[in-house]
Formats: sequence, structure tokens, C-alpha cells
Amino acid sequence: MTVVPKKKKIRYNRSETRTAWLLLLPSVIGLTCITYLPMIASFALSLFSWNGLGDMKYIGLDNYVRLFTRDTKFYGSLLTTLEYAGISVIGSIIYSMIIAMLLNRKVPARGFFRAVFYLPYVLPALAVYLGWKWLYDYNHGLFNYLIKLSGGTSVKFLDSSGLVTPSLALIAVWLSGNLIVIFLAGLQNVPRTYHEAAEIDGANAWQRFWNITIPCMTPIIFYNLLMSLVSNLQVITPALSLTQGGPGTGSYFMCFMLYTQAFKSHKYGYGSAIAVILFAIIAVFTGILFATSKGWIFYEGDDRE
Amino acid sequence: MSIRAIKMPARGSRAASRSRRERAANILCFVLLILLALIVMFPIYWIFRSSLMSNGELYAYPPAFVPPAWRFENYPETLKSFEYLKFLGNTMTILLPAVFGAVITATMGGYAFARLRFRGKKFLFTLCVGSMLLPSMVTLIPLFIAWSKLGLVNTYWPLILPHFCGGGAFNIFLIRQFVKTVPRELDEAATIDGCGFFRILVFIIVPAIKAAMIVVGLLKFIELWNDLLQQVTYITRRERYTLALGLNIFRGSFNDDWSSIMCATCLSFIPGIIFYLIGQRYFVEGIVMTGMKN
Repeated sequence: MTVVPKKKKIRYNRSETRTAWLLLLPSVIGLTCITYLPMIASFALSLFSWNGLGDMKYIGLDNYVRLFTRDTKFYGSLLTTLEYAGISVIGSIIYSMIIAMLLNRKVPARGFFRAVFYLPYVLPALAVYLGWKWLYDYNHGLFNYLIKLSGGTSVKFLDSSGLVTPSLALIAVWLSGNLIVIFLAGLQNVPRTYHEAAEIDGANAWQRFWNITIPCMTPIIFYNLLMSLVSNLQVITPALSLTQGGPGTGSYFMCFMLYTQAFKSHKYGYGSAIAVILFAIIAVFTGILFATSKGWIFYEGDDRE
Repeated sequence: MSIRAIKMPARGSRAASRSRRERAANILCFVLLILLALIVMFPIYWIFRSSLMSNGELYAYPPAFVPPAWRFENYPETLKSFEYLKFLGNTMTILLPAVFGAVITATMGGYAFARLRFRGKKFLFTLCVGSMLLPSMVTLIPLFIAWSKLGLVNTYWPLILPHFCGGGAFNIFLIRQFVKTVPRELDEAATIDGCGFFRILVFIIVPAIKAAMIVVGLLKFIELWNDLLQQVTYITRRERYTLALGLNIFRGSFNDDWSSIMCATCLSFIPGIIFYLIGQRYFVEGIVMTGMKN
């Protein structure tokens, strides 16, 4: 047997290149026409005033100026979005991590439990929110019954501007079954030998959790944190289906504001400016996560490419 | 050897006490899981139980945890005013082609990224993975304008066609991870037998990654199933309403009839639950595959 040394310089086979681009043609069209070009168009559109029918009028940064200085609902919308994303991201990460840790033990009927916790995620969103609206009902809802049972007074979950955001975020936590599956996959990858070694050295369960499980899980935590942050900052469905932004700006999420401005008031330029700000916010959070990731993410061995 | 011999007895007793503690911890975890599962399932049970009660029973205090009479006749009654089958048909008219397109094009893309060497691969892959982080909301307005210029608003095309364009970065990535686990020797053997890249894809790769393709299909299904925003944006004519839009309208016209609304809600749960039960096994498998490499 002779070992053929690998060639350093990559030489591309022409027919291989052609096949590859052919196979990737739909993806390339998708990436350009439905992802990157529209994104650029959004930036451009945010500099115009346009109602969708008449002429487009270039107004420079006026849309942004108006958002930051004159729109009375904008800051409320911003805060609501951040509050919702904060609660639902942290809540769902902690909730799904706990469930995943429990499921990672040798317990009976694991498959059944996994299915149970995943189930909310596969239910149609609107139906889920409708169901929860009924649970949150002021007079006849389950939660208020439980509150009254324990001696409290009824709470307007969805009809008070202070409570609506956390109430909707709780639904998001309930819906986060997909995170559980990803965490579970990560937990099953934590080398058992680490735990055994630590146990022989006398580490208790708590110490092992903090010094082995958590560090080994940091790449997965990072991934889940990033993905749920990106999706939760873009929340709109609960506002669309239940609360229509209210009460006050309690559920007037930025995406909902964008939607109403663009499709109800036909201010496409103004809506695009909101989209750009949302983009910037997500970029900042993503940037912070990536910038700090080197400090807290533990990569086992040289597993990194 | 000698060290082991000395340590063995000590380790043995410790191991015994450890396994006892381990078993106690497992029982505790099991109990906790049952409690949490009950809490998580309770809203669904509550919705279901509400659908089997009359409005009078629903508004009674204290609320009944079990329906006093199981009124299954609520369902046929609700179906009279809730055009379930029509809405379901409309939804499937969108979902089935979209899911099909996503699975096919994601498989093509994932295979190319996993196996083929070509100029521009790194660049394209970066663009692809980068698009996972881009907020899709930002593209909403320009895309809507583009579709309305094409005169296709109020048709299903804006909801179907985009999914024939790679099926989303995440899905391409998922397929790529799976293709990478297929032994390269299979490809090479086929190449020697005279197969081109397309035939390798169809006859070797596709059978080997069927599970992943099912996962992509299911993930897409759930994604579209839940995507109220696109449906609200593009469909305004009632006869084209999907299940979600239909449910929304139904809710609007039966404002306080919670019994009927809960019936309609339960009805729209059904397809999701069925699909989930069918695909559950693949689901977990598929997510395990990608979760690790991220």
C-alpha cells in the first residue's frame, strides 16, 4: 500500500463546480432575492416616505428622527420588546435546562416525558394563544380561580399594561420545548468520565453541576441563547392574535409596530425604519454575545474548527 | 495492579452507597418530572375540558375540573359555523408544496455543501449561516411590495414559492451535518461504477439521510403552521383563509362563546398532534445531530 500524499492546493473540478452551483441554485436565489436584497431594500426604503401608491419621496433620516423624537409609542414599544425578550429568553433557557437535566437521568418513560414537554411547541400558535387567553380570563379563567382559592384578588393578566408582557412571556416559556431537545442532546454529550473522576475526588452533585455540566454545556447554551434571543426580539404573534398591541404599549412589540405602520397605515418607509432599528438591536445583542463568548464558552479539546 | 487491589474494597462500598443515593435521586427526579409534566399539560387539558362543557357550565363558580357532562355534541355543533375542513384544506394547499420544496432544495444545498468542492463554497456557506442570524422581519416590507408588484398578493404563491429557495439556512445546515455522517467510501464506490454527482445524491445520499429529510419536513411544517404573520400579511380574502386565520375570524364572531371557541381551538390542535406523533422519533434524532455541532 502506498499512501498518496494529499495535495495542498485545491484544484476545482469544473463539472463538480457546475453541479454544485446547480444544486445550490435555489439556495442562491433564496439568499439573494428573499434575504439579502430585501434587507438592503429595507435600509433604502427607510430613507423614503411612501404610502405604497404615489411617488416615493426621499426624506433622508426624517423617519428615524420622528421615531426617536416625536413618536410617543416608540419607546414604549422598545421597552416592551426588550422586557418580553428578556423574560422569555431567560425563563425558557432555565426552564428547558431544568427539564433536560431531569430527562437526562435514568428515569422511566423518558420518551413519553420528552413528548409531553415538546408538545406545546407543535401546536398552532394562534390556537395556543386563544387557549391561554381563556386561562388568563378575568372572571372565569383558571389562574384567577387559583389566585382566589389561595386568598388573593383577581388579576387582569392581559388587560393591564404592566402584566401583559410577563403574561405573554410565560406562554413563550411554555412553548420552548424545542430548546429542551437541544439541551438534552448536549447533555448526552457531556463525557461520563468527567463526572466519575470528579465523584472519586469527592465532588458533590452541586459542584459537579457547576464545574462539569455547565462548562461542557456552554456551547449549547450559547446557541440556544442566541437563537431564542433573535426569535423573541421578533415577537409578533401574541400581539397579532390576542392583544393587538394593547393595553397601552404593553404588547406593542416592535414587530407589531412595524406591521401596523406598514400594513395598516401604509407608511412603508416608516415601517422600514423600525425594521432597521430592530435589525440594529439584534445585531448589538448578537455582537455582545459573540464578543463575550470567548470568555465563557468552553470548547472541549480541540474540537473547534 | 497492586494499587487497584488495595483500592478495590473501599471503592466497592462507596460505589454501593453511591448507587443507593443515585437511585433515590432518580426517584426524586421522576416525581419532579411527573409534577412538571402535569403542570405543562394542564393548560391543554383545561382547553380540552372547556370544549366539552356548555357556556353555562364554563361560567359557573367554582369551575369544574372535570366536565359535568361530556358534551361531545359541541364538536358537530361548532363545525356547523367553523368551516374546519375548508380551512384545513387551504392550509394544506400551502403547507404541502412548501414543505416539499423546502425538503428537496435543502437536500440539494446540504449535499453540495457537505460533499462537493467548488469555487466560492466558503463564501456561500458563510452567507448561508449568517442568514440564520438575520431577523426575517426586516425583509417583510420589501418582499410584500415585490409580491404586490407581481400582482400575487391574495394568492398562495408568496407563502409557497420562497420555500423552494433552499428551505432556510438551518435546514440546509441540518442536511449538511447528516450527509457528512454518510461514509465517503459509498460515494467513491459509486463514482467508480460511473455514477455522476446527481445519481450519487439520488441513489446513495437520499436513502441514507431519509431521517434528516423527514426532520426538515416536520420542522418546516411546524414553522409554517405557526407562522401567523405571513398568512395575515398575504391573505385577506375569506375564501382563502387558513386554519389560523379562520380561527381568528371565528373567535371574533363568537366573542363570548368560549365553549365553541375552545372546540375550534382543539380542532386546530389535531393535525399538529398527529404529525408530531408520526414524526416524533425522527425529530429527536435530527435535532440531536445538529445540536451537537453548533
